[in-house]
Amino acid sequence: MAERLGVPAIGVMTTRFVTAAKLMAKVLGMPDYPFAVIEHPISNAGDAGLEARARATLKDIEERLLKR
Amino acid sequence: MQQLSSRSYEVDDLMSAQELYHSNGWTDGLPVVPPTESAVRACLERAGLPPDHVIGVESVREQPITAEKLAINAVMAGCLPMHFPVVLAAWSAMVKEEFLLHGTTSSTGGCAVLVIINGPIRKEIGASGGFNALGNSDRATACIGRAIRLGLINILDVRPGGIDRSTLGHPGKFSYCIAEDEEDTTWTPLGQMRGIPPGVSSVTVMASMGPRQLMNEWTHEPEEILETFAAEMRASQRHYSIYGGNQIVVIPKQLRDILQKAGWSKADIGRFLHERARIKRKEWADVGKGAVVRDRGESIYTALDSPESCLVVAAGGPAGGFGAVIAPWMGHKTKAVTVPIGAKYVKREEA
Amino acid sequence: MTIRVLDPTNEAKPAAGEEAPRLISLRGTTVGFISNGKEGAKEYFNHLGRMLETEYGVAKVVHRIKSNYSAPADKHIVDEIRSWHAVVTGIGD
Repeated sequence: MAERLGVPAIGVMTTRFVTAAKLMAKVLGMPDYPFAVIEHPISNAGDAGLEARARATLKDIEERLLKR
Repeated sequence: MQQLSSRSYEVDDLMSAQELYHSNGWTDGLPVVPPTESAVRACLERAGLPPDHVIGVESVREQPITAEKLAINAVMAGCLPMHFPVVLAAWSAMVKEEFLLHGTTSSTGGCAVLVIINGPIRKEIGASGGFNALGNSDRATACIGRAIRLGLINILDVRPGGIDRSTLGHPGKFSYCIAEDEEDTTWTPLGQMRGIPPGVSSVTVMASMGPRQLMNEWTHEPEEILETFAAEMRASQRHYSIYGGNQIVVIPKQLRDILQKAGWSKADIGRFLHERARIKRKEWADVGKGAVVRDRGESIYTALDSPESCLVVAAGGPAGGFGAVIAPWMGHKTKAVTVPIGAKYVKREEA
Repeated sequence: MTIRVLDPTNEAKPAAGEEAPRLISLRGTTVGFISNGKEGAKEYFNHLGRMLETEYGVAKVVHRIKSNYSAPADKHIVDEIRSWHAVVTGIGD
């Protein structure tokens, strides 16, 4: 929806929710819309774990938000 | 106060601003003045327009051109608020159908938009019309001309290799704006020749090639002087494009004084050049274009559609028997357009 | 002292189903994070925001929480998105 406003967006989810997100993307007319996926779970991952997941997401952010 | 709709970016300093704009393809390669909200608002206020006022729509891609975006690009070009009404007027002329905005700015032909300023506004903004008229004569014409190019780049995506397919282009694509010298001449200003009432400022825009300078300081005969201009037009027909349309003729003081003293008006000049600036198609064979003469060798082509399509401009420094001819992009596919600069834009002297 | 400068282009609005144009760089931009407010997501996005600021030159990071994590974002968030240059949204727990 941000895309329709002209703002590039990236969705991040944990492995657990990949299927649901794919379904949503299909419904919105962008079936191949890629997401960044991080290790599940995050609710009790600890601060170091969260920092590591954040670092892993940076590459995806570069790929999805920046012009190639 | 209406909100501006443009996105904003926060940058550390002047140099970071340059890198932001250059890396995004938002410049002509030269440094730009960072367009802050206050600078943009000052331009809009001077023109008395809300940011979302639509000056026109580029018809091929249905791209609206708003006062806000024109103001942002004008600030980037170095314009002050007092320059902005001229920029607006130029754009309102460019969006008229007969100008052919998309075709002229995208073509391999590589023309630039020449803006000629007439009327009282010249004095207010310090637009010179004197020395170096076709070069860097003054801040006003330099910045106004540049605002046109930056607007084309950013609002209509006219970038080299993208929509701008110009093979060569020419330096006028950085800035191409001149003011007529209305004070040191007996001739009627160009704007008035084109229907603008006296005392009203105007711009005339034309999709133009680079200026071709000529010289004739060895005669006082008007016909001989003007024959040099006609010869330059004929040469352009042979070498560049044979097709006729508007032609701009810039006549500085030295030659102008001779013509005026002999009683020649701009209309007289137009009539003479319309008659003399013409060639037969077979002349193409002299310049390596024999292959396309075919059986139409006797066809005659005039550089000017009519005497009135000759746009004579009094401008240039006081000495030197020089003049210039500026050809149109491609015959009469594009037409010169003249529009008034709104009365509210020009500060009136108190009576 | 920073300067706030304006976009000179006609910012593109893509048709339905089309993607927004990508950015040349993140430098100087405002990035918005939309999460569901769960503790893990908040911390994760805080780390990410910090990294984007220090390593990618992002000028401003904004964090917003969706009131209903399974529904599209609230209207006031949608309005705010227009002033951001990029969005990172969290999906799921």
